Amino acid sequence: MSTTRTRRKNGQQRVAFHERLEKSDLIEIYRRLWFARLFDEALYDAKKKGRLRRGNVYGSRGQEAIMVGTTYPLRPDDFVSPIHRDMPVFVFRGMTVEQVMCQVWGKAEAPTRGKDSWSHMGDMNLGIVHSTSMLGSTIAVACGVLWAQRLDGRRDRVLVAYTGEGATATGPFHEGLNFAAVHKLPLIVVVENNQYAYSTPVELEVPTKTVAERALGYGIPGYSIDGNDFNAVYDTMCEALDHARAGNGPVIIECVTYRLQGHADHDETRARKYRPVEEIELWEKRDPLVRYRQYLLSTGQFTEAELPEPPLDIKEQIERAIVYAISSPDPEPHTALEDIYDESAGVSL
Amino acid sequence: MREVTFLEAIRLARGEEMERDPNVFLIGEDIGRMGGAFGVTEGFYEHFGPDRVVDSPISETAIIAVCVGAAAAGKRGVAEMQFMDFISYGFDQVVNVAGTYLYRSGGKTPIPIVVRGPSGGYIGGSLYHSQQFEAWFFHTPGLKVVQPAFPDDAYGLMKAAIRDNNPVVFYEHKHLYRRIKGPIPEAHEDYIVKLGSARVRRYGEDITVVTYGAMVHFVLEAAQHLEKEGISLEVIDLRTIKPLDMKTILQSVRKTSKVLIVYEAPKTGGVGAEISARITEQAFEWLDAPIMRVAAKDAFVPFAEPLEKFVLPSVDDIVFAARELVAY
Ligand SMILES: Cc1ncc(C[n+]2csc(CCOP(=O)(O)OP(=O)(O)O)c2C)c(N)n1
Repeated sequence: MSTTRTRRKNGQQRVAFHERLEKSDLIEIYRRLWFARLFDEALYDAKKKGRLRRGNVYGSRGQEAIMVGTTYPLRPDDFVSPIHRDMPVFVFRGMTVEQVMCQVWGKAEAPTRGKDSWSHMGDMNLGIVHSTSMLGSTIAVACGVLWAQRLDGRRDRVLVAYTGEGATATGPFHEGLNFAAVHKLPLIVVVENNQYAYSTPVELEVPTKTVAERALGYGIPGYSIDGNDFNAVYDTMCEALDHARAGNGPVIIECVTYRLQGHADHDETRARKYRPVEEIELWEKRDPLVRYRQYLLSTGQFTEAELPEPPLDIKEQIERAIVYAISSPDPEPHTALEDIYDESAGVSL
Repeated sequence: MREVTFLEAIRLARGEEMERDPNVFLIGEDIGRMGGAFGVTEGFYEHFGPDRVVDSPISETAIIAVCVGAAAAGKRGVAEMQFMDFISYGFDQVVNVAGTYLYRSGGKTPIPIVVRGPSGGYIGGSLYHSQQFEAWFFHTPGLKVVQPAFPDDAYGLMKAAIRDNNPVVFYEHKHLYRRIKGPIPEAHEDYIVKLGSARVRRYGEDITVVTYGAMVHFVLEAAQHLEKEGISLEVIDLRTIKPLDMKTILQSVRKTSKVLIVYEAPKTGGVGAEISARITEQAFEWLDAPIMRVAAKDAFVPFAEPLEKFVLPSVDDIVFAARELVAY
């Protein structure tokens, strides 16, 4: 897949940032890719076997390179706002696997204390901005988080907001990006273009050839890249970070990938009807994990044995967290009425 | 008569209206090839084609606005919200654009649209897939608000909503979709249920229970329990929340003198408050007890099971309230 940019400065070549990574980074990236894959598999399995009985599981199989590639180059003080297919990002940005599993199982220890489900959580201390089900809405909220940084004299903190290609059709997506561009906020919008919004193909969501072209309307850079190629995602992200941190305003990075699963676990059968099965099979072959492993081997720095498929300790770590969540206490019923108002200001009767 | 699910009743009503009136069209997310997230539009795309069964981008504002504009130009659009919660993105179109249109056009441009979709809790859907915010629209002039509880009413009300010349917000409780089955009339009978007409679903002596949506089923279950204790409920299914059928309500109040209002939305500022106020205004001398309400607690609908159960009303809540009211 070609890497295009809607606005390229005098045909400059992209810097191969990934070539500057140390061997220890490469191993960590490899493990993160596998973490994302195994996390997804474990939850699908838990739902299928009835260990998880509530809520939907939104799969991210095949989208791992995007999550790892867009978070790996971030500074600890940057912000992210993950959505429904970005669960592993919560872990990459500092939540424990146990916390995330408690959220999935609706437990008292979850960041939302069992109030909301799945990816609708955050932690401002970790720079994780809470999203809601309302697709696109966090793109606009992100502007406020960045505005607060401006007020604090921290213009170099970047916020990475994730969205599907479908959600780019919402009003708040447009209003948020327009605002960010007018005020040159360091917002990086990562569009995970997995080519389907539920059953709706991308042509019925976005009128342009690439989603990145939406950037033209805001006068900002828009990249359309191969989202299954870790190095492409990583390099583009590094470039976008430089751009945003330097005060040049927002960037759109469209990562072209494919939703290998149904929209959620309940949609598996139907998702093989509303789109061609050959298409799914074709994209199965473009597995970002296989590609990254091949790349690592090609560098000559690794033996096959150093790159296990999968790293079993990660699988065990995830299973331990699931067991932890299942055995951890449910929220007390009366806590349902807590956290509706914060009265600590003491100005309300 | 045809024995169908609640969902199928809504599907058939829309299909038959589309056959009857070429001006009727549908628009929503994933309603075309997939037939809708819940399958309420299954088979329509193949039959009516992509101009009358429109797959929209994820743009609730546009979905509703397209219906409004088309209505101004003589069509009848039925908009699907994939979940009723998402109507908040289209709120302005419903409230400020559709609701006011006739008024500001000097009565010349009616806006016959239906905005429909699945609502309500009890499915572990958490904050954005469980809400019952009918009070938002109940408060707004120019709108009608409907929420059926049985297939025949869903069928007849959907037809009426499509034929009505005003914007109608149509709530379909997703918990009823496949759980509730019942008979509906044949297509050729041209059956409709008039908007604004309530229906007594059970006759009784001691308490008038005014309710709608999924709560009708909860109340009917409570009524069975209470019957064994010698407490008899008269159950009024509003079917249409706005306009309110006060005639049916007051008739029953004059008989029982005690009123319980049951709704699934947060208690404060809900539909129950208006019904209660109207009863006190119009039948105060007939009352033997304060009007009581069973509703959700003033919270969002949370995800975890113990929390959701705590917030949303239950059959037990209704039973307890009825006992209290009888003892008053
Ligand atoms: C405002 C709004 N409308 C509709 C939905 C229902 N919905 C949830 S996910 C989804 C599809 C999203 O597609 P996309 O943005 O491409 O992300 P993907 O799921 O493909 O990763 C829809 C329509 C929603 N959550 N919010």
